[in-house]
Amino acid sequence: MVNTRKIKKLKLGYKTKYGFSDKTKNFIEFSKGLRRGIVRRISDIKTEPDWMKERRLAAYEIFNKMPMPQWGADLADIDFQNIKYYVKSTDRKPRNWNEVPRNIKDTFERLGIPQAERKYLAGTASQYDSEVIYHKLKDKWTKLGIIFSDTDSGLKNHSEIFKQYFGTVIPSTDNKFAALNTAVWSGGSFIYVPKGLKVAIPLQAYFRINARNMGQFERTLIIADEGSEVHYIEGCLPAGELVSKGHKFVNIESIKPSEEVISEKGEFSRVKSTMVRPYRGNMITIIPQSKGNSFQITTEHPILCIKRDKVKTKRKLRNGWKSEVLTEKLNDATPEYVKADEVEVGDFITYVTPTAVKDRAHLSEDILKLLGVYLAEGSVSFNKSLNLKNLCFSFGKKESEEIFALETKSLIDKLGEKSSVCRTKGGYYVVTSYSKKLIDLCLKHCGKGATTKLLSKDIMTLPPEKQKFLLDNYIKGDGNVYVKRPYFSKMVRSSTASRLLAYQIQEILARLGVFANIAIRKGGKDIILGRKIVRKNQFIVEYTDNKKFSEVRKKDNLFFVPIKEIRKEDYDGFVFNLDVKSPDSYLVKGFAVHNCTAPTYTTDSLHAAVVEIIVKKNARVRYTTIQNWSNNVYNLVTKRAIAHENAVMEWVDCNLGSKVTMKYPSVYLVQPRAHGEVLSIAMAGKGQHQDAGAKMIHSAKNTTSIINSKSICFDGGRTSYRGLMKIHKGAKNSKSQVTCDALILDNKSRTDTYPYNEIDEKKVTLGHEASVSKVSEAQRFYLMSRGISEEEANAMILSGFIEPIAKELPMEYAIELNALIQMSMEGSVG
Amino acid sequence: MLEISDLQVEIEGKKILDDIFLEIKPGEIHVLMGPNGSGKSTLAKALMGHPDIGVKRGKIILDGEDITKSPPDERAKKGLFLAFQYPVEVPGVNLANFLRIARNSLLPKEKRIPVFKFRELLRKKLAFLDLEENFMERNLNEGFSGGEKKKTEILQLLVLTPKYAILDETDSGLDIDSLKTVFESFNKILKNEKKMGVLIITHYKKIFDYIKPDFVHVLKNGVICENGKMDIVKKIEKQGYR
Repeated sequence: MVNTRKIKKLKLGYKTKYGFSDKTKNFIEFSKGLRRGIVRRISDIKTEPDWMKERRLAAYEIFNKMPMPQWGADLADIDFQNIKYYVKSTDRKPRNWNEVPRNIKDTFERLGIPQAERKYLAGTASQYDSEVIYHKLKDKWTKLGIIFSDTDSGLKNHSEIFKQYFGTVIPSTDNKFAALNTAVWSGGSFIYVPKGLKVAIPLQAYFRINARNMGQFERTLIIADEGSEVHYIEGCLPAGELVSKGHKFVNIESIKPSEEVISEKGEFSRVKSTMVRPYRGNMITIIPQSKGNSFQITTEHPILCIKRDKVKTKRKLRNGWKSEVLTEKLNDATPEYVKADEVEVGDFITYVTPTAVKDRAHLSEDILKLLGVYLAEGSVSFNKSLNLKNLCFSFGKKESEEIFALETKSLIDKLGEKSSVCRTKGGYYVVTSYSKKLIDLCLKHCGKGATTKLLSKDIMTLPPEKQKFLLDNYIKGDGNVYVKRPYFSKMVRSSTASRLLAYQIQEILARLGVFANIAIRKGGKDIILGRKIVRKNQFIVEYTDNKKFSEVRKKDNLFFVPIKEIRKEDYDGFVFNLDVKSPDSYLVKGFAVHNCTAPTYTTDSLHAAVVEIIVKKNARVRYTTIQNWSNNVYNLVTKRAIAHENAVMEWVDCNLGSKVTMKYPSVYLVQPRAHGEVLSIAMAGKGQHQDAGAKMIHSAKNTTSIINSKSICFDGGRTSYRGLMKIHKGAKNSKSQVTCDALILDNKSRTDTYPYNEIDEKKVTLGHEASVSKVSEAQRFYLMSRGISEEEANAMILSGFIEPIAKELPMEYAIELNALIQMSMEGSVG
Repeated sequence: MLEISDLQVEIEGKKILDDIFLEIKPGEIHVLMGPNGSGKSTLAKALMGHPDIGVKRGKIILDGEDITKSPPDERAKKGLFLAFQYPVEVPGVNLANFLRIARNSLLPKEKRIPVFKFRELLRKKLAFLDLEENFMERNLNEGFSGGEKKKTEILQLLVLTPKYAILDETDSGLDIDSLKTVFESFNKILKNEKKMGVLIITHYKKIFDYIKPDFVHVLKNGVICENGKMDIVKKIEKQGYR
């Protein structure tokens, strides 16, 4: 803990400082706990119609009256008065397409998005925002009559249909948590698919980007009209920060378990799991001296930091100035993890330089020099008349540029390839080459497109002295150098439209022992000579050689960088965390932060969602969920569907993580020949209880249902299957098949089956199979006798166990699920 | 050379094998015979390193390296293979994937075979054993007939090409036709792998229609009571194991 008095004292100096500031956005904040007034206020802020407000208030009363469920998992620790029920959601900024994870891009590819986007995907069109694509898709759907929005907008824009169905499948009286959700719901999805329309692609892609409709009390309503078909995938990938994989930064949510990221030591470390939890509260933006490295983080997330008050001089504070720092003290200081909301302006956060080095002989000095030129001035395009790709370096008009152009040609000569230099009508120098070898080399190691150029892993891990060849030529092209008096310090600046490249240049400079700042020059619309243009954001990497005074200090491969500004804003949504193997840390925009497994994460969160689905005659709906919650989340979700005549409803439900899950997706088969299916996987490790199952209610003739549940428990975890099979009188010729398999990995863990059958009709067919198995020694020995390691053998047996359900998932999800299961299991079997 | 020297083996404190000496040189075919319950399968498991089997005395040495205490996967990496008497079902594990992972685990990192290339290779191996191509799409032993299981063992032997192979009652539970196909396949492999050392465990003599061993050993009550050549088989034919 930080001495608050000291901080208060320190803060005195903030006000009129130079460059430092403390900003907190004003926002509406409700106090904790639930009262009638708060429910009313939620509805007012959302400007909802009266019927919804009344519905909420009625639900609030029901919630108050209903007792906590006395069966199933232990919920005694939930403190309803310690939860914030509403915070005003701030708009998340639209994201840059470059930052969209690969799998989403692939999804778009498969969606067959219009030509313009396709071009964009190929990197040839100008900047397109992911939001644009999302809107395009939305337009396409709107034309077909599909309504697909977040639930709040659904209520606003389609109130008729909304009112007709909302709460009809799951009334507030159903259970305490459904009542709570009805009282305070916010976010979720609203989908209406019109008659006869078959939506071929799963409706998940859009949600993966548009994260704003997910939250703690989300409410989803899906209506599939007669003869329609839709597959909805509930993914929860909030837009996260950029995390270092060593050679490049990637979005945190795109990282899969078992991948490697860079830790506080600058070395590779394996990701054990990736977790999500609902989060309501302050989101802190840390803005270091290098503003381009600003990042967002939740209040309790620990950051590797040196507090300024630990390293300051004894000198009296000058009014309005930060306390001065004693270099010796700073050099001796060991950075410690400090919770984000205890980090203050002026403190030093830790930029970590990745240390992996692997020389590659084929990347010679000349090749690296040429790649440097390409990075700054080069492009690859397709010459249609020649049917050939060409490599083109464009230079300016000045004499120095002519020299650079000639140098470039001679570099190409030295590499034994052909090229030509010419001067355009405008007087610009251009070097062109058709060498396939060079083109491949440039594309492989530098990518293409001004906003998407990115250095390869091979380049990023070269010894720094070799990287310098590339860097020098890059700066010669894209940069400029000023010599400043009176100390003749040399300021070097380079500018790129590729954000990720800017971070790479910063990293190479760090490897060379120099900390460079990144500044962002905002792009935007502009008119030049009557032509409308869109300027791209420019990322400016700058540093000063032989600087007399520097606020950034270096120690081994670390740089301690002062924080210039801290902003706080409100956040309501999901947040993403990585659990990285020892040393339990990863780099966000270059700065070390701790794993989410830090002991400071003690507050439990509640996720109480409601999903209602109406499947009309001959329609078909599949609802897929893969969730990996942090182990402090109570996941209490009510999911129910009504299936009409000849309709098919399928729930595919994978529950990993969480502290407690209680979830029983159900299907009410209310008309003849309706079919319901629940395929589920539950997994519980240390301190976790998964109480999951299914309900099938047959109340019409010839209805059929299948329940297939698989559960895995290990390391003291507990799984329970709880299922209800109800067949009403008159539901003749109904058929149902229940299979539940449990896998126990050790003697500490526990699994139970609670099947409830209420059968009021004689002419029915019912099957129930339950099995409990251990990972058998025989299987393990068999696999190991073929050379497979124990760890891998266990993994194989597990994957095999869940395979019947995993194969129902789209490929990328199946892979993700497998990776998640493998990693959380690591070291806990046998 | 696979060398078993003065081996004494226990399961749950009960002595099963004692005083076992065996030397299998590359290219040699040994047959170990013995009545039910004599400890034949225990020897196979002990050689492969089953965790339930305790080696109380003696050593197992593979090409000069002591593997007595090595886990099964390391033994496999050093070139040992066991065809199981009762191959285990591993539900949901695709045979082709399993074989690729197993094959690759025996190879150094840079020599590992990528998915598509491996499938090509596997197709050839399946054809070599007259197995249907879609065989590789099935799950490992899941729902296989007895014959299919044994054929899969031979397929694994072919794909993994060990230096020393132990066949634990591969002939048991097979009808005459299956026996023929399985051992004809095995002989085809041996023709290509002339340096493979083989230990065949059996208690039927039918196998000698297909296999001409260099040495025959008889195991009784946990002890090898006779070493010799085909003449021993003739003796047993007349007198039984006695």
